[in-house]
Amino acid sequence: MANLRAFAMPKWGIEMTEGVVAEWMVAEGVPFKKGDLLALIETDKITNEVEAEADGMFPRLIAQTGGTYAVGELIAVLAGPDEAISAADVDAFVAGFRPADSKVASKAGDAPPPPPAPAAPAAVKVAIAADARISPAARAFAEAQGVDISAIIGSGPDGRITFQDVQQASLPPVAIGGGTSVDLTPVGETLGNVFASPLAKRLAVQHGVDLTGVTGTGPKGRIGKADVLALVKPVTVDKAAPSAPIAFARPAPGTAEIVKMSPMRKAIAKALSHSKSTIPHFYLRSAVRIDAILGLRAQAKAATGEAPSINDYIVRACALALARHPDVNVQVHGEEIHRFGSADISVAVATDKGLITPIVKGADTLSVAAISREVKALAEKARTGRLQPDEFQGGSFSVSNLGMFGIDQFDAIINPPQGAILAVGAGTRQPIEIGNALAFATIVQLSLSCDHRAIDGAVGAAFMQTLKGLIEEPALLVG
Amino acid sequence: MQLSREALIRAYRQMKTIRLFEERLHDEIALGEIAGFTHLYAGQEACAVGVCEHLGPTDYIISTHRGHGHCIAKGCDVVAMMKEIYGSRDGLCKGKGGSMHIADMNVGMLGANGIVGAGAPIAVGAGITAKSNGTVSIAFSGDGACNQGTTFEAMNMAVVLKLPVIFVFENNHYSEHTGEAYAVGAESMTARSAAFGMKAIKANGIDFFSVYEAMRELINYCKAGSGPASIELDCERFYGHFEGDPQRYRGPGELDRIREERDCLKTFRTKVTEAKLLEGTDLDKVDAEVTDLIDRAVAEAKQADRPTPQDVLQDVYISY
Amino acid sequence: MAIKMIRDVIRDTIDAEMARDDSLIMLGEDIVGGNGAPGGPEAIGGIWGTSGGLWAKYGADRVIDTPISESAIIGAAAGAALTGKRAIAEIMFADFIGVCMDQIWNQVAKFRYMFGGKTSCPLVIRMPYGAGFNAAPQHSQVIHQFVTAMPGLKVVMPSTPADAKGLLTQAIRDDDPVIFLEHKALYGVKGEVPDGDYVIPFGHARQVTQGDDITILATGMMVGFAEKAAAQLAQDGIGCDILDLRTTSPLDEEAILDSVERTGRLLIVDEAPPRCSFATDLSALVAQKAFASLKAPIDMVTAPHSPVPFARELESAYLPSPDKIVASAVKLMSYRRGSA
Repeated sequence: MANLRAFAMPKWGIEMTEGVVAEWMVAEGVPFKKGDLLALIETDKITNEVEAEADGMFPRLIAQTGGTYAVGELIAVLAGPDEAISAADVDAFVAGFRPADSKVASKAGDAPPPPPAPAAPAAVKVAIAADARISPAARAFAEAQGVDISAIIGSGPDGRITFQDVQQASLPPVAIGGGTSVDLTPVGETLGNVFASPLAKRLAVQHGVDLTGVTGTGPKGRIGKADVLALVKPVTVDKAAPSAPIAFARPAPGTAEIVKMSPMRKAIAKALSHSKSTIPHFYLRSAVRIDAILGLRAQAKAATGEAPSINDYIVRACALALARHPDVNVQVHGEEIHRFGSADISVAVATDKGLITPIVKGADTLSVAAISREVKALAEKARTGRLQPDEFQGGSFSVSNLGMFGIDQFDAIINPPQGAILAVGAGTRQPIEIGNALAFATIVQLSLSCDHRAIDGAVGAAFMQTLKGLIEEPALLVG
Repeated sequence: MQLSREALIRAYRQMKTIRLFEERLHDEIALGEIAGFTHLYAGQEACAVGVCEHLGPTDYIISTHRGHGHCIAKGCDVVAMMKEIYGSRDGLCKGKGGSMHIADMNVGMLGANGIVGAGAPIAVGAGITAKSNGTVSIAFSGDGACNQGTTFEAMNMAVVLKLPVIFVFENNHYSEHTGEAYAVGAESMTARSAAFGMKAIKANGIDFFSVYEAMRELINYCKAGSGPASIELDCERFYGHFEGDPQRYRGPGELDRIREERDCLKTFRTKVTEAKLLEGTDLDKVDAEVTDLIDRAVAEAKQADRPTPQDVLQDVYISY
Repeated sequence: MAIKMIRDVIRDTIDAEMARDDSLIMLGEDIVGGNGAPGGPEAIGGIWGTSGGLWAKYGADRVIDTPISESAIIGAAAGAALTGKRAIAEIMFADFIGVCMDQIWNQVAKFRYMFGGKTSCPLVIRMPYGAGFNAAPQHSQVIHQFVTAMPGLKVVMPSTPADAKGLLTQAIRDDDPVIFLEHKALYGVKGEVPDGDYVIPFGHARQVTQGDDITILATGMMVGFAEKAAAQLAQDGIGCDILDLRTTSPLDEEAILDSVERTGRLLIVDEAPPRCSFATDLSALVAQKAFASLKAPIDMVTAPHSPVPFARELESAYLPSPDKIVASAVKLMSYRRGSA
């Protein structure tokens, strides 16, 4: 067998976890001399020239130019300069290659599955004091996993640390949310007399299933979840594009995973840094009741089977308010303020690459249903990367809604060159005083960020007053 | 038996302290300074003081929701009481009990009590201790608590066990907002007590001397090992059931009349000055001193330390 | 070590403590019995036989026979305890707590707190409880679920003669009010009892059996049921970690969580109906603090949501049993966590 060796991604400095092969300076199968330049490898800090330490030859270059490879990962197969190498030898070598770090192998797509992880990885072994307030199972786990218990606040009796406490502390934080917004529409009046479980009623509303006349399989004919789901029209799933499983990256304890900013993220970073550091932001906050909108929405659902989102109503309300307050419907360009006759509203959409803000053009002339359809279409384009530049550049105002993540209230950064952005929180049921009595209302917290160079406090406040009125008594929003 | 000049002044001082304490609370509550339910004792001072002037720290009393007067008469610290009512952590009960639960075991005061009729059974237990100490145990109740089954159980058990317990029924003629004439089914509270098989008498709760002399007789009776006794004291409540009570159940001019004609402090002053036992100036001097004391109590209560959230879990148990 | 029945342990422990402490008194209906009757005092000595001979030994001022007046019994014991005595009050059946609840809940439990920590009420309220005698709905109940929920009370439920001695001694010497629950069906249970002074501190569960598969939590009569079930399960290779909690307040959370972290399965056996009960309280504790350790849903073997019935067939259907515990354990061991 030929004398083959691995040429792996080198590690320069303790922080380097991966590198980009910027360019191979030698070709496959061509001998080189000691000191020849073999490759250019970039890290996030530097570009290094890799020289040959001895005469030799690469019977195979594995790394693609521009590709990113983990430290220790096989990027080429090295041999002596004059050796006769068969492709089968190289294949066997690649198949048998095991990097020092098992984590790397799992990233190398074509490498075989790694051997089982060693039982005691223990990146940081922590000695746990004998008198520590910790349960035996928790102690054993913390010692085996090298979990530092000093920062854990125990949930057991008198702050004693439980297994659950250590187990949770050993795991990376879980990103919450990221799904589509949850439909919290109150069950429509027509469902009131249907003999169904609350969950079944909710599912029926979500899926547009008519439960009248349906007899359930539950006790005394009660309609249950399964009954409703049986009536939901099957959704055809595009099997060619299965959605990727959600993976929560888990860096080793004490290290960070370094991810290069995508061009899109760089663009977001640049635009928003500029906005936040140069635009004099001020914020106007107001709580609005959305019960009337919820009622309209239930009516729309009952009448058309379509339910616009709360955000669609808010976009519509913003459009009408902007039409009444043209001083807010502006862009700022140096020492010029551009005032618009049409409300072109950017709607923030989260995609897996980052935030993008497609524009609902002429929102003041569109019905809520039309806005709803437009937003859905734009969001779909944004998520699949098919948005055209004129569909997300420009706009005179933005709406950002994080209510679906349960965010009660936040302030948004202005999307330049626009003059203002509205941040919309989650609808929460709260007791309010009506007359001398207490009642419950669904309240949403709004926060308007304004560019003070163009919009004064009173101007913004007047806009908010109009907006609140439209949302709370939304007769004008429909029709 | 003739009371000494010092004893008379002391009794007057106690009654006046109760009166001014309650009147001041009435004003402070109206200003919104004090939280919760407060039941004022003003009008009934001769009852608490006429009973408690006979008692020492190892005699026990248990009180009612209208307990400030009993606390003061039994010797609770007035400033610490005021702090408690203001909810301070320096209050007599560290702000945990408030107006309805003031207690001080050091002076034999087993607590005001928020549950009408709950005190009498506990007084029976204190009577067990009193019997072994040669002291007495007093259950203060009103014409409301006299109709509670717990009171009946306690009276019967005290008779059965022959305990030195005196059931003091202060009949102010209102159980909360309902008249005694309606709620007490027996011919009288005194007659009902007698039916339990105990010595039962009645005295004029407007007149300190009437209460005081009747109690002397009953305490001697109990300490002689004759078993429990009861006394009904006819008296008046100058304020509502609780502060904020509009008192629509009162008759026209009733409050003005009882304050004019049935005020135990006026009765006391008239009696002692007409009998030349004390001068009006002696009493005026006490009035001024008590006014200063109450002013100081309120001022200190308003400045006193507030409890902290950490105090919530303190004193649920002695050992955990 | 002597072999004794629980009823005798209770009596002997009270006797020893009355001899030790002159301030200790005892009150209750028929704890002497026969007073005012032709048979004369001591005709009864407590209907459960837990106070025989004490009246003769300590006198009527310390062993106090009372009328049937539960409020006055508890109130009198409380008043004596507030003023320097130690007191034991016997409520003949725990079911009668209904007529003295105010004294227990609003008075005894709250004295120390509402009086700002300046009082103590060293009082033991002994209450025979539990089903198994066809005594029908008002003489068969458990009440630990109510009193455990009341801050200010400690609640004890011994299941063996030795525990009865150690826990009752602690209860009498404790400065806080204690509800001491004696299961009627256990009075005749015999076992070894340590000689001399024997105190078991509150809040320490007893490890009854050790096993790696299922944690079983039980109190009172349920402990014996769990042991019977565990013996049967052991033959099938299922190891039960039985904890007799002994005191429901304070609760030995540490022992419970440690055991569940080890076994990953929890079965709670409780004689109370299942709603808002001690069993649900324990379930909540483990669901909150040992969720990560659970391999199967928590299971409870309890009485149903009904009063305790009279007829034999009905009462045995009502009560938890070793068979029901075995069935639950098998269910827990067969549980498979689905992938979706």
